[in-house]
Amino acid sequence: MAHVVLKELVKTYGAFKAVNDVSLTVNDGEFVALVGPSGCGKTTTLNLIAGLLPITSGEISIGDRVVNDLDPKDRDIAMVFQNYALYPQKSVYANLAFPLQMRKLPRDEIDRKVKEAAKVLDMTHLLERKPRELSGGQQQRVALGRALVRDPAVFLMDEPLSNLDAKLRVQMRSEIKRFHQDLKATIVYVTHDQLEAVTMADKMAVMNGGFLQQYDSPAQVFAHPVNMFVASFIGSPAMSLIPLETSTSDGNAVLSGAEGWRMDLSSLNARKVQRATTSKVVLGARHSAIRLHKSAVAGAIPARAYTVEPTGDVTFVQAMLSGAIVNISVPPDIAVFPDEQIWLEFDQDRMHLFDGATEMALNAD
Amino acid sequence: MTAVTNIAVPKAPKSRKPIDGWRWVGRIFLVLMLLYTAVPMIWMLLTSIKSGFAAMQFPPQWWPDEPTLASYQKLLDPNNSVGQDFLRFFWNSLFVSTATTVLSVAVAVPAAYAFSRFSFPGRRFLFFSVLLRNMFPAVIFLVPLFILMRLLGLVNTHGSLILTYLTFGLPLAIWLLRGFYDNIPIQLEQAARIDGATRFQAFVLIVMPLSVPGIIATAIYSFIGAWNEYIFAYTFLNKNEQLTLPVGIQRFFSENTTDFPGLMAASFMMSVPVVVLFLLLQRYFVRALTEGAVKH
Repeated sequence: MAHVVLKELVKTYGAFKAVNDVSLTVNDGEFVALVGPSGCGKTTTLNLIAGLLPITSGEISIGDRVVNDLDPKDRDIAMVFQNYALYPQKSVYANLAFPLQMRKLPRDEIDRKVKEAAKVLDMTHLLERKPRELSGGQQQRVALGRALVRDPAVFLMDEPLSNLDAKLRVQMRSEIKRFHQDLKATIVYVTHDQLEAVTMADKMAVMNGGFLQQYDSPAQVFAHPVNMFVASFIGSPAMSLIPLETSTSDGNAVLSGAEGWRMDLSSLNARKVQRATTSKVVLGARHSAIRLHKSAVAGAIPARAYTVEPTGDVTFVQAMLSGAIVNISVPPDIAVFPDEQIWLEFDQDRMHLFDGATEMALNAD
Repeated sequence: MTAVTNIAVPKAPKSRKPIDGWRWVGRIFLVLMLLYTAVPMIWMLLTSIKSGFAAMQFPPQWWPDEPTLASYQKLLDPNNSVGQDFLRFFWNSLFVSTATTVLSVAVAVPAAYAFSRFSFPGRRFLFFSVLLRNMFPAVIFLVPLFILMRLLGLVNTHGSLILTYLTFGLPLAIWLLRGFYDNIPIQLEQAARIDGATRFQAFVLIVMPLSVPGIIATAIYSFIGAWNEYIFAYTFLNKNEQLTLPVGIQRFFSENTTDFPGLMAASFMMSVPVVVLFLLLQRYFVRALTEGAVKH
């Protein structure tokens, strides 16, 4: 196993910058998820690490070796592809043996390693089958087996679960996580599904438009998103982002909405607001940081329920505030009806404030 | 027991489709088409086992009174001049067609792969210019190519034919194979390269085996094209010992009064290699033509 270091990595296609100045370090044995919407440059970044694409500038090291100009075969990596990329003409056994044959291992050692990997992944009975005779989950497991049979320095995974159905995806998710824990493997994992990233990764690198937005543990990214993009991308349902105006009333900073209501701020939040570059500020709040009241409460903002979505465990209520949709979760035993008058109380300690112009999170210090 | 089963099994409802007029029109049309293509071949076969006299009879004999294989014996007998000529022509055709096929696969496979996988300046232009030749009828190139071959000193050699057939066969071969390579997910090669293969190994070990149906289809195309070609062979070759079958057969039987059973026997034997090839490889052929029509 080894660490991976990306330094100011750039990949351009003509005038289009697919990967822009990305720097990050994946520590030895760490599970890092590259996450972002489609076209954000995450798969390109992975292909650059793999050596399947030439880099435009920057530096990639695996272990202590700069691998910029090395062929994929010389980088000591293994990759699991979204479509599994199993060799269709070869049996499962031959698929698993291929990387070892390419490394010219003796036949009996190949046999031993293939059988070992098959045992670990519980597919000894499938060894003679062709990939097309396997189910999606089994194919996925073969792809994983082909990666681990060789004991590479780094595992690269490109959306390995996105072709599976929902139930199997959850199951394979925990299998891959277990696989990481058992092998202490260094894994770089690309996904567009923030839930996969949050649940599996030690650290997540949120990307957008070719730029690395934030690189931190899922808990940190969740609790302290650096900008509005990260705030809205991570977490489900998405964080509500409400555009507001700041002003001062009696020497205290307050926020006011388009409907004319005002919200007093805690002293910490007031300090944050003072650092905004304009009077426009965006209030961010996750569904759990907003309390719903059915009668007027001091400090709560009047709103009207828009839609109500019971999910069983929890009921999500949407309301409009200042032109934005606000998501609130309430216990299922509280009945809320569409168009009902409600009052929303924001948790001052758990709400986020963003600069309306730069879209960056506002910090008190 | 039987009584019980008799009761248990419900009567199958008679599903009688209404007689569909169009269906019958279609069937009659297909039968006519089949006759249209098959009857000449059957007639060829029947004539080839008649005596010279029986072949000219009117009204014609459908099944000869005295079937004979004399024409075949004559053609395959290396001891008489007719047999010598026929066998030589056959050999010439086989040589020219095989050489064309081998060369066209050898060039088309890497060319198609390059068009499919690599992006290089002028790729689109080059790819469509490959098709330029196919926009004109082949005859247009007859005189220019003849002059070219004369300049190169290739007139009266089999090389002139092989080169010509390549110019006709290659564009289609490249197109067909490119479609094939486009259909093989690039991740397979990427996986192979990560698994330790060089780019070339990934191509030879992973991609080539997957494109075997396409390669076979391409090979059949160029073989049949070269095997049947007449005009260029007629123009480029004059010496009797170099002629290919399509030209040879015609030369050899119109000199005297036409020996129809002999001509038909020769025609039949000429069609044998193509038919055999087709029967052996048809499943690849059909797969190649329909490959990529739908997503798997």
